[in-house]
Amino acid sequence: MRNCFRIPKRTTAFLAVVVVSVLGLYGIPARGQMAGVTLYISGDTNIQEMFDKDLLPLFERETSVKTKMVFLEHGQGAESILTKIIAAKRTGQQTDVDLYETQPTFIAQGSSEGIWTRITKDNMANAAKVDPNRPEVLVSNGFGIPYRGSSVVLAYNSKYVKTPPRTYDEILAWIKQNPGKFTYCDPQTCGSGAAFLYVALYKYGKAEDFSGLTYDQARESAWEPALQLLRSLKSNIYNNGFYPNGNVAVLQLLGRENIYMAPVWSDQGMSYLDQGLLPKDIKLVQVSPPFTGGDSAIAIPVHAEHQASGLMFLNWLLTSKAQTIVVNKLAGYPGIDWKYMPKDVRDKFAGIAQNFSPLPNAKYQADAKRLWQEKVAGSGQ
Amino acid sequence: MTGLALVLPPFFLLVFFILVPAAEAVLDTLRVERGGQIVYSLVRYAEMLRTISLRRSVVFTILVTLASVGVTFALAYALALYLRFSKGWVSTLLGALFIIPLFIPTVIASFAMVTFLEHHGYVATLLHTIGVEDTPSLVFNATGIVLTEVWASIPFATLVLLAGLQGIDDALIDSARDVGAGALRTFLAVVLPLNTVATVITMSLLFIGILGSFTIPYLVGGNAPQMMSVVMTNYFTNYLRPDISVALAALSFVIAALAGAAYVGGVSHRERGAV
Repeated sequence: MRNCFRIPKRTTAFLAVVVVSVLGLYGIPARGQMAGVTLYISGDTNIQEMFDKDLLPLFERETSVKTKMVFLEHGQGAESILTKIIAAKRTGQQTDVDLYETQPTFIAQGSSEGIWTRITKDNMANAAKVDPNRPEVLVSNGFGIPYRGSSVVLAYNSKYVKTPPRTYDEILAWIKQNPGKFTYCDPQTCGSGAAFLYVALYKYGKAEDFSGLTYDQARESAWEPALQLLRSLKSNIYNNGFYPNGNVAVLQLLGRENIYMAPVWSDQGMSYLDQGLLPKDIKLVQVSPPFTGGDSAIAIPVHAEHQASGLMFLNWLLTSKAQTIVVNKLAGYPGIDWKYMPKDVRDKFAGIAQNFSPLPNAKYQADAKRLWQEKVAGSGQ
Repeated sequence: MTGLALVLPPFFLLVFFILVPAAEAVLDTLRVERGGQIVYSLVRYAEMLRTISLRRSVVFTILVTLASVGVTFALAYALALYLRFSKGWVSTLLGALFIIPLFIPTVIASFAMVTFLEHHGYVATLLHTIGVEDTPSLVFNATGIVLTEVWASIPFATLVLLAGLQGIDDALIDSARDVGAGALRTFLAVVLPLNTVATVITMSLLFIGILGSFTIPYLVGGNAPQMMSVVMTNYFTNYLRPDISVALAALSFVIAALAGAAYVGGVSHRERGAV
């Protein structure tokens, strides 16, 4: 009996394979009618959870458009998705990527190939609410739309710091007056320490010179006074020049009141406060010029299969309702201007509800971190 | 012929996966583009040695390595002597216990050391209860690296030294005692010289191992100065300067080669002794 069954089983399997591959070649016939939208999203697991549990179910309920998310954890494979979009464009085919969230620099890379839709208020109403001068928009050559942001801000302990600094220079003055009560993490181990470094560099060289795509090592000579400045702070840094490894280590020092002031990520600081991991006396405030921030943007391919649905989703994502979910879940910045956010959200984020400085491009970042190690940390006293 | 066949796979592995790429990398550090032409020059090495932080890192690496080797050697020798010459249940128990660090991954050991030694860690708390208010910084500096390296290296060093000590005939020690030599005299005049080969092997292998270790200095070390292995990784991945990284690697190879020479010298000494 067993032998009798073997052949039909194999045939069925074979037929199934044939049918599936034929369908794969010609496409499932019903696909055109399904107004679904395929989203390629990158980020950490908190982003994935926010889409899976909050944003996508709500969007589907409100619009009855089906969604499918391809999640690139920590942006893994982001570059090959870009290659795939470019390849489809070059061969004159549509791409299944209806919406792509990635680093603004990747979006900029594809812009010369003409793969992105120029998004304005004409094809997407809520584009009008986005500040065109946001780093995500500028760095992505205008093709990237921010929908979430995070910035480095100043955290201080209000029990000990009665008049918090309002500017970067006031922070520098405070550090010198209160030796041992400030630190920032080693810039190569964390973004908050890097932000402290970049703003020092921007003090002597314009941010725009370094945040674009061009790279010219000669421009870095402008950084010299900034590096000397950071070096001169060293003896006033916590534990005689101890720069902890990682954002969390700094938050722990703040939590134990070993230090009274430090740059931290707005989202991390907020969620630490929410969880009671930082004392209630810790306040977050943005200074002027602001610390750096921003890391992600959304672009829509011109040859996306369901481009209209992609635009529709992005438009929905930029409504104040969806943005409130994003801001509360991530304790970050909205993609739209703060003035379009509900008042209670604005109040909660009052100290940090401003824009932030753009990050230098990847090559300048690498050089800045190296020079910091060579001239600030590693230079001796 | 069979012997040759057995040797060939590791030989080819060594040549094509280690020697050739290493030589290629070193040659690459010497190639510099000047006016569209490739010329050979030492500019990268000059840049490396001009950079204060790199110079400090080289000196720091050598000092930390020497300190770790010194402390490990002293502790391991004492332990090996005890295990060799003392009989009883304490000795048996210690003989089993000292091996443990060998089976603990370095990553775990490093994190354990950090929680153990840090500002509010176990050691600081313990000292606090007996009234020491200000514990010196024990971690994220040279002290932390040396302590962790010593902890991780003791089993290996003890095993090699113990093997050497067990090769010493009891009769030699007994006769030294018989002619009136004390414990110290016996050690200095009989045990130490007879154990030279094991000593040289231990010291050189410890030196090379600690010089090239990455996990411990990366996790337990401070911002600056850093051990060369950490600096190399930073220049390679974070600073996008693989050329400086390879130049540093070439320098560390030269330093390690000195220890390697001692090892080869020690081993060939043994070979000659055997003949």
